[in-house]
Amino acid sequence: MKLKKVFLLVFSLMLLSSCVKDIDFDQAETFIIDPVIESSFIFFNEPATSFMEEDGSEASVVLDTVRVEVFTDDFIVDNLVKAEFTFEGINTINRAYTAAIDFLNDDDEIQHTTNLAIPASPTNQPIEVVVVETFEGIPLEAVKNSTQLAFTLELQASDDGTIIDENTVGDLSFRSKGAFYFLIDVIE
Amino acid sequence: MKKCLLLICLATTLANAQNKQLLHGFNEIPQSSYLNPAIQPTYKSFFGFPLLSHIHVQAGSSGVSAYDIFVDDNRAFGDKLEAALLSMDPQDFFLVNQQLDIFSGGFQIGNPQIDQKYITFGMYQEADIISYFPRDLVILALDGNQNNIDRTFDLGQLNIAAEMISVIHAGYSTKVSNQLTLGLRGKIYSSMFNVKSTRNTGSFVTNQGVNNFLIHRFNLDMRAQTSGIATLVDDENSDPTAIGKRVFLGGNLGLGIDFGLNYAINKQWQVAASLIDLGFIRHSKDIRNYVLDGSLVFEGINPIFPESGEGQTAEEYWEEVQEDFEELFDIEETNDKYTSLRPLKFFGGLTYSYGQKVAKECNCLAGEEPYRNALAFQVFAIKRPLRPLIATTISYSKLLGASWRIKASYTIDSFSATNLGLGTSFRLGPLQFYALADNLLQYNNLAKAQNVSLQLGFNYVIARKQ
Repeated sequence: MKLKKVFLLVFSLMLLSSCVKDIDFDQAETFIIDPVIESSFIFFNEPATSFMEEDGSEASVVLDTVRVEVFTDDFIVDNLVKAEFTFEGINTINRAYTAAIDFLNDDDEIQHTTNLAIPASPTNQPIEVVVVETFEGIPLEAVKNSTQLAFTLELQASDDGTIIDENTVGDLSFRSKGAFYFLIDVIE
Repeated sequence: MKKCLLLICLATTLANAQNKQLLHGFNEIPQSSYLNPAIQPTYKSFFGFPLLSHIHVQAGSSGVSAYDIFVDDNRAFGDKLEAALLSMDPQDFFLVNQQLDIFSGGFQIGNPQIDQKYITFGMYQEADIISYFPRDLVILALDGNQNNIDRTFDLGQLNIAAEMISVIHAGYSTKVSNQLTLGLRGKIYSSMFNVKSTRNTGSFVTNQGVNNFLIHRFNLDMRAQTSGIATLVDDENSDPTAIGKRVFLGGNLGLGIDFGLNYAINKQWQVAASLIDLGFIRHSKDIRNYVLDGSLVFEGINPIFPESGEGQTAEEYWEEVQEDFEELFDIEETNDKYTSLRPLKFFGGLTYSYGQKVAKECNCLAGEEPYRNALAFQVFAIKRPLRPLIATTISYSKLLGASWRIKASYTIDSFSATNLGLGTSFRLGPLQFYALADNLLQYNNLAKAQNVSLQLGFNYVIARKQ
């Protein structure tokens, strides 16, 4: 019964040699993923006339505050390792602006401020200003403490004393985005 | 997550697609009638040892093996995992199928020379889990969207079906002519739990914006149906013991049939075909369904000069933005009843038997000697959420002595084209034992196997009188 012997040999060899080789499951402990999520943020695009009040005077300061709950979310607090905000202002109005973005905590205490100085455009050609702010380590904690953003746009007084009226040409556009770098320990 | 990884490991180190290619046509194993109710076991009667008569485990991964991910080399684990994951496509899947006989038995009725009728009965528990690989979601989780601007992530790739059931069954096989044997088995299913999320559509894409740097488009139509899960996982009044109560008809019930035939072309050539689990389960108890439905285009927020609506304050504007997002990701829960179909299976086989032992002296009283060798060509197909899985097998089996049969098989399926299997059944007096395993080439390093299936069992049998 040759076949019998071959069968027994194959079967027992198979069982004896059956094993899992060259494998290290502990590696999974080091399983970390690092996605980068990019999201649009504050924007606007307004003609010069938007900076006129109804009575014809200039709206020299426009400000608003929004609640942003996302930064204090547990997942963000635990896994966000870097945040990079890009703010861009493009101005074709012959007036200078300053923009300030305040990061505030629940008690209205300022955690961080980003400033943009947007020069006037005398020839109404686009003047572009880009500010990139990177938060890592301690400064990132300021972001993670923030629950409100206050945006203040200030129209600088003109050198010649002219004010914006219906005939003022140009517009001011503002764009921004945030890139959020995560380091997530999946096995934790 | 750790458990989840272990499950994937199990899936990648164990086995195949519910194809029991070694069991098919192995008439010395009473449980081979599970694959074709026309099959009459070669015993006058049999009784499976409770919980031991059919133990079956199969798990498979069509795309990667545990070795691909966990190999102990100098590469960083994340790199290996990423490479392995990216090598898979959305048609790749992970699969676990397990079956355990609770009890089983069968006996011939009538005059065995004339009628050749056989009755089988029993109860078994089965678990079946299939998950397709949601490639785009995985890439989004690994990479994020920053490096994937303009890439449309297809969220519809999420496709999972999982269930655990118990089955009470009774089968009847009868030889209707010299050539044709027909078999029918009725089944009552009791579902212990069911999860079904197989018809999802949805996408997420980030493009360069017009008014802002980026524009994000969400379009979600995702749904999951579950039964039997809510009572297990509810924080407040969870009852893990509930699952045990569902084994004996206590769960959501369903009905099904198996149908099979066996046709002897002549003494040596036979054709067999069967449909297994043509049935459904009606889920009406302990239902919890989830719907994630909505679309949103987001370009950022404009708190300074809100455009929409006249006289809208910034606060109102901001609330609207928040509401839009909340609505988008709001998961609606319903308790609507639903019906799930069991994965329908088809088994087909063409067998050629040869090598009849010729007695040295003519003994006219002895019954006809069986053929000692059989060559078979088998086809298996199973309906799965995305598309049927198909496997083809050629097998050779040989009877050694009076009650020991061995079988070897070669299978081509979704997992590999190098699947060799080996099985054996022997009988010692009234004790019948069998063990079947495939993917033997991978046994010297199981981690490299994308699929292995294993079946074994013990039966108490009463042999037919010669």
